[in-house]
Amino acid sequence: MFQVILSTQWKWARLPLLLATITAFTIPVLSVQGVGGNQIQGVLAFRVLAAMENWAVWYPLLAAAIGLLLAVTAWGPDHRQGHTYALSLPLPRWQYAMLRLGAGFVLLAAPAIGIALGSVLASATATVPVGLTAYPVALTIRFTLAAILAFTIFFAIAGGSTRTAGYVLAAMAALLVGHWLLDVATIPIDVVGPLLERLYDFRGPLGIFGGRWMLIDV
Amino acid sequence: MSDAIKTQGMWYRAGPEFELHDVSMSVPTGSVYGFLGPNGAGKTTTIRLLLGLHRADRGNISLLDRDVPKEMPDILQRTAYVPETPHLYPSLTVAEAVRYHGAFYKAWDESWTDELFDRFSLPPDQRISKLSKGESGKLLMLLALAQRPELLVLDEPTEGLDPIVRRDILGTLLDYVSEQGATVLISSHLVHELERICDWVGLMDQGRLIVEMPMQQFKNGIKRLRIIDPPGTYDNTPFEVLAREPVNGGVPGEMILVQGWSADMAEYFSGVGASLHEVVDLDLEDGFVEMLRAYRAG
Repeated sequence: MFQVILSTQWKWARLPLLLATITAFTIPVLSVQGVGGNQIQGVLAFRVLAAMENWAVWYPLLAAAIGLLLAVTAWGPDHRQGHTYALSLPLPRWQYAMLRLGAGFVLLAAPAIGIALGSVLASATATVPVGLTAYPVALTIRFTLAAILAFTIFFAIAGGSTRTAGYVLAAMAALLVGHWLLDVATIPIDVVGPLLERLYDFRGPLGIFGGRWMLIDV
Repeated sequence: MSDAIKTQGMWYRAGPEFELHDVSMSVPTGSVYGFLGPNGAGKTTTIRLLLGLHRADRGNISLLDRDVPKEMPDILQRTAYVPETPHLYPSLTVAEAVRYHGAFYKAWDESWTDELFDRFSLPPDQRISKLSKGESGKLLMLLALAQRPELLVLDEPTEGLDPIVRRDILGTLLDYVSEQGATVLISSHLVHELERICDWVGLMDQGRLIVEMPMQQFKNGIKRLRIIDPPGTYDNTPFEVLAREPVNGGVPGEMILVQGWSADMAEYFSGVGASLHEVVDLDLEDGFVEMLRAYRAG
């Protein structure tokens, strides 16, 4: 049963998943390009850290994008058929949802492998200055956990009714429009900023998206 | 005889303008039950309630002696469903859809699947989105039959199909039913088709089940009678008068539509000073139309 669920999800997500895997491989490789050479160690370390910081933002973004993509493709075909087929299959609804969730976790292995290979290759080819260390394994683990988390959240939202997903999107849109209106009216109330800060600093599972995503760090 | 499907006092509000009212239906085990009704009568909603796709507001539903919706996985393991609109994933090929579907059923029969593939001449590598209407219908019937169900719930399974495909599908269905003794609930607009294959009939209109009886009783019991010197009212009749209408073309008397008729009831008319001049048999479609007309006239 799991095998056929996995095969359908693979079929629906394979092209964007392939693209995401290539991107996951490419980001760490690109991040070490152009840094190195015969420079004073202190300067080199500074340049390497600056390059890592420039690229760091792409890892959590990619993890979130892959999570969203896999969640949407996992539920999309069922949504389009009004869930009639899924609901007429002889298994409890929770079990069906768990099978789809599990299949998504398995598919996340592809970009995780992509980032692992890219990180190892980048670490091996880069000139790592004295005092700095490459963390390919840690980066891979962090990326994988972030992608799993993003997928789980988006899976839960996408698995609900279109109305539920609509409410979530409408709430986010209302927040942004409200922020813009306050800004236009020059009323000094910042709604979005503190919220993002809270999310960023939150010491719960979402905290994984914050912090330093550095392949090479002190 | 037990009932494969039984509902008691089933109510469901589908929206501000449509409601199922107190639907109590019984589909005997082993029967082929034709579920008739005009568009919007509530047939598809009833079927979706039976299969746990909607939750009834009130009433009890049981399929194969199991409670709906509590025991749905067990019920669905033994029940095949062919919906009005094909519900399969359009991006899968026929072979992939068959493999996917078969993985969920314990009684899935691979050799029977191969046989049905040959019988229906389905292209295994064709995407479902590219199938013709006839091929889609055949595929849905293949999936339904290959799971070896005890109960088949078919919602307009031959809608829009050409006569040859319809015959293929219904022939295969009847072969299966006669071999396995399965129960079938089939809804269709094609009344003549149901007349050929069904032994029970249920008629639904405006969210209510108007009548439910064996097909023979339905066909034999509904007659149009031509009465000479009709009485002002028909009181204490041994049959039910559904409608009265004048005879066209200046012919004397009136026509009455009756339900529950049998030949020995002719004496009734002499007792009220009238005479029975003619008994007209109705086929299922005429009976269906007249029954609906009488019901709507109140």
